[in-house]
Amino acid sequence: MAAPIITLEKVEKRFGDVVALGGVSGEIRAGEFFSLLGPSGCGKTTLLRCIAGFEDPTSGAIILDGKHMEGVPANHRPTNMVFQSYAIFPHLSVAENVGYGLKKQRISRAERAQRVEEALAMVDLAGYGHRASHALSGGQRQRVALARALVMRPKVLLLDEPLSALDKKLREQMQVELRRLQRAVGITFILVTHDQEEALTMSDRIAVMFGGQIAQLDTPQNLYRRPMSRQVASFIGFMNFLDAEIRADGGHSIDLDVAALGRVEVPSSQRPGKPNGRKVSVGIRPEMLTILMTDSETAEREIEAEVVDAAYYGDMTYYDVRFPGVAEPAQISMRNTAGRRILEAGDRARVGWSSESIVVLD
Amino acid sequence: MSGETGTHSKGTGLRVYAFAYLLFLYAPVALLPIFAFNDSQIIAFPLSGFTDRWFGELWEAEPLHESLMNSLFVGITSSVLATLLGICAARASTRYEFPGKKPMMGFVMLPLVLPEIIVGVAMINIIVQLGMDLSLWTVILGHVLICTPFAIAILSAAFASLDRSLEEASLDLGETRMGTFLRVTLPLVMPGIVSSLLICFTISLDEFIIAFFLTGADTTLPVYIWGQLRFPGRLPSVFALGTLMLLASLLLLTLGEYFRRRSARKTGIEHTAGGLV
Ligand SMILES: Nc1ncnc2c1ncn2[C@@H]1O[C@H](COP(=O)(O)OP(=O)(O)OP(=O)(O)O)[C@@H](O)[C@H]1O
Ligand SMILES: [Mg+2]
Repeated sequence: MAAPIITLEKVEKRFGDVVALGGVSGEIRAGEFFSLLGPSGCGKTTLLRCIAGFEDPTSGAIILDGKHMEGVPANHRPTNMVFQSYAIFPHLSVAENVGYGLKKQRISRAERAQRVEEALAMVDLAGYGHRASHALSGGQRQRVALARALVMRPKVLLLDEPLSALDKKLREQMQVELRRLQRAVGITFILVTHDQEEALTMSDRIAVMFGGQIAQLDTPQNLYRRPMSRQVASFIGFMNFLDAEIRADGGHSIDLDVAALGRVEVPSSQRPGKPNGRKVSVGIRPEMLTILMTDSETAEREIEAEVVDAAYYGDMTYYDVRFPGVAEPAQISMRNTAGRRILEAGDRARVGWSSESIVVLD
Repeated sequence: MSGETGTHSKGTGLRVYAFAYLLFLYAPVALLPIFAFNDSQIIAFPLSGFTDRWFGELWEAEPLHESLMNSLFVGITSSVLATLLGICAARASTRYEFPGKKPMMGFVMLPLVLPEIIVGVAMINIIVQLGMDLSLWTVILGHVLICTPFAIAILSAAFASLDRSLEEASLDLGETRMGTFLRVTLPLVMPGIVSSLLICFTISLDEFIIAFFLTGADTTLPVYIWGQLRFPGRLPSVFALGTLMLLASLLLLTLGEYFRRRSARKTGIEHTAGGLV
């Protein structure tokens, strides 16, 4: 496991009465693509700005590459930032923008020009150096901002929602490029986003934040498959919840009585949040439920249900089904493979599921 | 249809009004060059013929040259001082929150609405009480006082339109606070600074009341002109002087606007300056 490049120790930040960060702890590993994911106002930008040195934590410590950052101003930190607004200097050309930070360092003019050209080539803007920076498109401005930060060879690159201003197509293209760039340069990236899909597809690890706290810091797969709380579970993708009661806790496995689904034994690893108490809930993803269309299709466990609603999306059909004795309908997503029937509201359905796909939550 | 005719006739009414207004405003100014070239000591129609001797007279008048130099000195010094103060105040008020900011800013802007005669009387009282001598520097003091609010108003607009993250980006790229101010902030608010310098200079140049109270042995141009008005024979050359000043102000304002537009084009942002010219 790689050494941490950033260690956060109970980082707290208050703005008057507002607690923007309520004691955030965690480690970010050298060379990883790390994302801060959370709803608006949860403190993502504040945490990023604390790392960059634009805000001083009210208490707690930020250790960056082994050094305590308290009292170290932004211009002396080994971090560089790509701002949400890109913050391209409008009075400077593209090359002058990219070379802005190098000018402060004692580097010869020739080397500076070469590094600027390299950085521009890295973001596919070779030959754009002489352009006036205000005559650039949104995507190009973002690339200039990236090049300007990367040319400084920072230990950590901070990106505050860099893609949110771009249209969907360009955003998807830049997601791929950012990921490729990160692998190529090997610099630790910390990306702030409120788009869970973006975080899942791009990151090595993600910190999910709510109300100034990290709710879970994990890999995309673990976040999706084994969320630690209902909040995380419903923020990342869609999750069906059912009431449940713990019958027996056998160390390696838990014996549960789940509403509608009945008795089920799940491995302890399916209880990542370690909720205590007998009354819990279980989560199951829409794609983990299958409607068995023919008698020949079977599953580990089966349950009878009634289709309440069906939404046809071309590649997929999304069903709302009602389990006996459960008021809230559950969502099921089915791929529309060749010959597979599409059910209608009012149809009876045999729903298959497996004990592995269940997560025990608070 | 009837609505259209209505707007049409209303439009005509407004146009007549606007024309009359402009005529009233600028006709006296237009008289300046006419009488400056009129070959008669009496300022009245009908005109008597063309001459440039009033300009020649200006050329000869030593005290006029002196007062012109004084005015330029006062104008340049007070516009630079007022703009420097304005930069500090505008920067502080747009970037930082501090206790008592609102009342303090209100206090700084007060001279904008105070009658100049009150400012003049109050200042001469204080200066005499302090035992200071009246000189061009006391005039400068008074002019800085009345120019600073204008400078702050112009520069606050310029600083407020400056995206804060630009300065943060500069810090982030390793530049110091001072370096950031010189390399990012200053170039981007430069149009505002030029506007402020021009406006303050213009205000100082034709300011009479405060200069009249606070001037010592050396007079400024408006005070000199006022002195000349007692001699009817000098009146045409005062008109000639007025004509030259008119040309100079037009030139200054045109220059100011040229620089503002040029920098707006360079940065691709219209009206970054918050300039008045
Ligand atoms: N300078 C400030 N002064 C006062 N409150 C602030 C300041 N900056 C942030 N806050 C507050 O701190 C909380 C966290 O803000 P932050 O900008 O970090 O949220 P965010 O997660 O980045 O949200 P978004 O997705 O909307 O950008 C919010 O409640 C916000 O109002
Ligand atoms: Mg934010």
